[in-house]
Amino acid sequence: MARRYDSRTTIFSPEGRLYQVEYAMEAISHAGTALGILAKDGVVLAAEKKTASKLLEQLASSEKIFQLSDHSCCAVAGYTSDANTLINYLRLEAQKYLFTYNETIPIEQLVQKLCDLKQSYTQYGGLRPYGVSFLYAGHDDDFGFQLYHSDPSGNYSGWKATCIGANSSAAQSILKQDYKEEITLKEAKSLAVKILNKTMDTTNMGSDKLEFATLSVSAGGKVVYKIFKPEEIEQLLKDEGVLTAPTEQTATSDTPSGVQ
Amino acid sequence: MEALFGITGKGFVLTASDTTMARSIVIMKHGEDKSRVLNKNTLMMYTGEAGDTVQFAEYVQRNVQLYGIRNGVPLSAHATASYTRRELAKALRTRNPYHVNLLIAGTDPKTETPELYWLDHMASMVKMPFAAQGYASYFCMSTMDRYWKPDMTLEEAKALMQKCIDELKIRFIASLPQFTIKIVDKDGIRDVQL
Amino acid sequence: MLDLSFLPSGRGGAVTDLPDDQDDAQTFAMDAAAFSHPSFVLPSVADPVAWMKHQMSDAAENRIKMAKGTTTLAFKFKDGIIVAVDSRATGGTYIASQSVKKIIEINPYLLGTMAGGAADCSYWERELGRRCRVYELRNKERISVAAASKLLSNMVYAYKGMGLSMGTMVVGWDKTGPALFYVDSDGQRLKGDLFSVGSGSTFAYGVLDSGYHCNLSIEEAIDLGRRSIYHATFRDAASGGSVLIYHVRQDGWQVISRTDVTELHYQYAEEPRPSLL
Repeated sequence: MARRYDSRTTIFSPEGRLYQVEYAMEAISHAGTALGILAKDGVVLAAEKKTASKLLEQLASSEKIFQLSDHSCCAVAGYTSDANTLINYLRLEAQKYLFTYNETIPIEQLVQKLCDLKQSYTQYGGLRPYGVSFLYAGHDDDFGFQLYHSDPSGNYSGWKATCIGANSSAAQSILKQDYKEEITLKEAKSLAVKILNKTMDTTNMGSDKLEFATLSVSAGGKVVYKIFKPEEIEQLLKDEGVLTAPTEQTATSDTPSGVQ
Repeated sequence: MEALFGITGKGFVLTASDTTMARSIVIMKHGEDKSRVLNKNTLMMYTGEAGDTVQFAEYVQRNVQLYGIRNGVPLSAHATASYTRRELAKALRTRNPYHVNLLIAGTDPKTETPELYWLDHMASMVKMPFAAQGYASYFCMSTMDRYWKPDMTLEEAKALMQKCIDELKIRFIASLPQFTIKIVDKDGIRDVQL
Repeated sequence: MLDLSFLPSGRGGAVTDLPDDQDDAQTFAMDAAAFSHPSFVLPSVADPVAWMKHQMSDAAENRIKMAKGTTTLAFKFKDGIIVAVDSRATGGTYIASQSVKKIIEINPYLLGTMAGGAADCSYWERELGRRCRVYELRNKERISVAAASKLLSNMVYAYKGMGLSMGTMVVGWDKTGPALFYVDSDGQRLKGDLFSVGSGSTFAYGVLDSGYHCNLSIEEAIDLGRRSIYHATFRDAASGGSVLIYHVRQDGWQVISRTDVTELHYQYAEEPRPSLL
């Protein structure tokens, strides 16, 4: 009887809850941390990679941070396979908008598009919600730099700085304390490193456990997406004085497989 | 025999459209406004096949309105023109393409930049500082080439528009006795007199 | 991508193969859909518009020629709207009838005129009448003339290029006062004060335009309408029979007269020509 209301996404429990959707969110709270900080001259996204085994081949592409279009990128927390599907969808929608209007898609519209899709999986029968949360960083002419978060229920919200994944509440409270209006991108990068260093379970920070990306505007007014190379991450950690020698560590055992 | 004009100036687009509706050799109506307001700062003027013109213009008008309601931000003139071109191009490859020629005039309310787009029924689109649609272009493009300059005042633009209309009266075989003149600027779209 | 095909689709097929006598709920539901949006079976060719264009051209082996010839007119004036039409139906050079009723009474407040294909006009205006009635039942108020004429133009626009031939004036009185719209099978729809449609329209315009002004008395307006149609029947071989006149006022339309044009011919011949100066 206890499992009467949680086997289907479309059925409310007597308390008015959708258990499957809540379980999907639970999956994310075990995922590697991803945080985003909105600065006045850009946005920074940083994420913790959870898979670190010396036997594992390094992927050519990134695992946690992805470019969506010329003017937007995102960090993910949750099922990587689900995320891949959704990122493909986001990229497609961004290009469809460009094709129709000959202009880049406003960030909130892009977020909304994906949330409409996620929402449908909480309503139509026989389907599993996507087990992914996103942090979106983007820039458009109307609202400049923006940072959004979306969850498996299809809710989304705009943030100055936020964090998802494991230990996100700890990171969130540091952000609340240390975030100041008028923060620069440089300061935001330092803050991101500082927070990850404090909240990550690992004792030794290194480029193998981190992904880092920024969105800024060049002198010519073009939006620039920069994903940090391992050397650049090492440099960043060194600058912040948190670099420790890389050592091998296996994935934490309480993490469900495929969740990053 | 229909004629449309658009002239950009400093912070505005001045537009003119003839008001004659003809069917074969008969003028069915004088005083028809051959335009639709797409949103506060964008105007679409149309000529072409009877029936198609209004159907297409109102289709675009409603989609542009819907965009504004859905997203809380109005569609820019450039995006509107691109969207319109895309719709024309899509219809072109179907059994019933729209036979419609258009001018889309808009002024960005923030930057006050005037924009004017020329589109034909084959879904060509060109951004122009001044433009004419129909036979009028054979008579008036040279006039506008000669007299148009950037950042014209409204008075200058009106004078140039008058020159174009006067030339049609002198050289064009069809009689186009009346034009609807409008201005599209940051404050919206208004009727004006030359 | 999300497959939502299990959801009920918005628009079902309009043509159902079910026999008419099935009276269960299922049939009723389908009939309701077909009822709100009737549609015709199109020629089963790749491109109905191109096919129809060919059938109506000189190149066709058995050319479909649309037989038409009419004079109709309507104009607004200070006391409402006058609608006047002739009554001849022709099939090529043959006069098929001299007593066709070319003014269609859509409802007590709306009239439609008939030019072009008689069947097209009477079918679509009857369909318009039905929709106007449904509108009235749903909204508890009468449809405006603007909306009614838009319904008609949208309906025929859906069949553009497929052989419909219709030139009509939708006339009536609504909250905004007297209203007159021209609607044709191209999908063109115009609001105006004065229209004439049909092969005799140029002749009718000649008399109408020179005698028209807004302050005509009711008698003068009726006479102008009648004379305009008469002169058109005199010059246009495809127009003739008698002149039928309706007057549209706030309380609906009224039949004014039906006069044989031969009678009018001799009556007008007796009268002196009006002074030009």
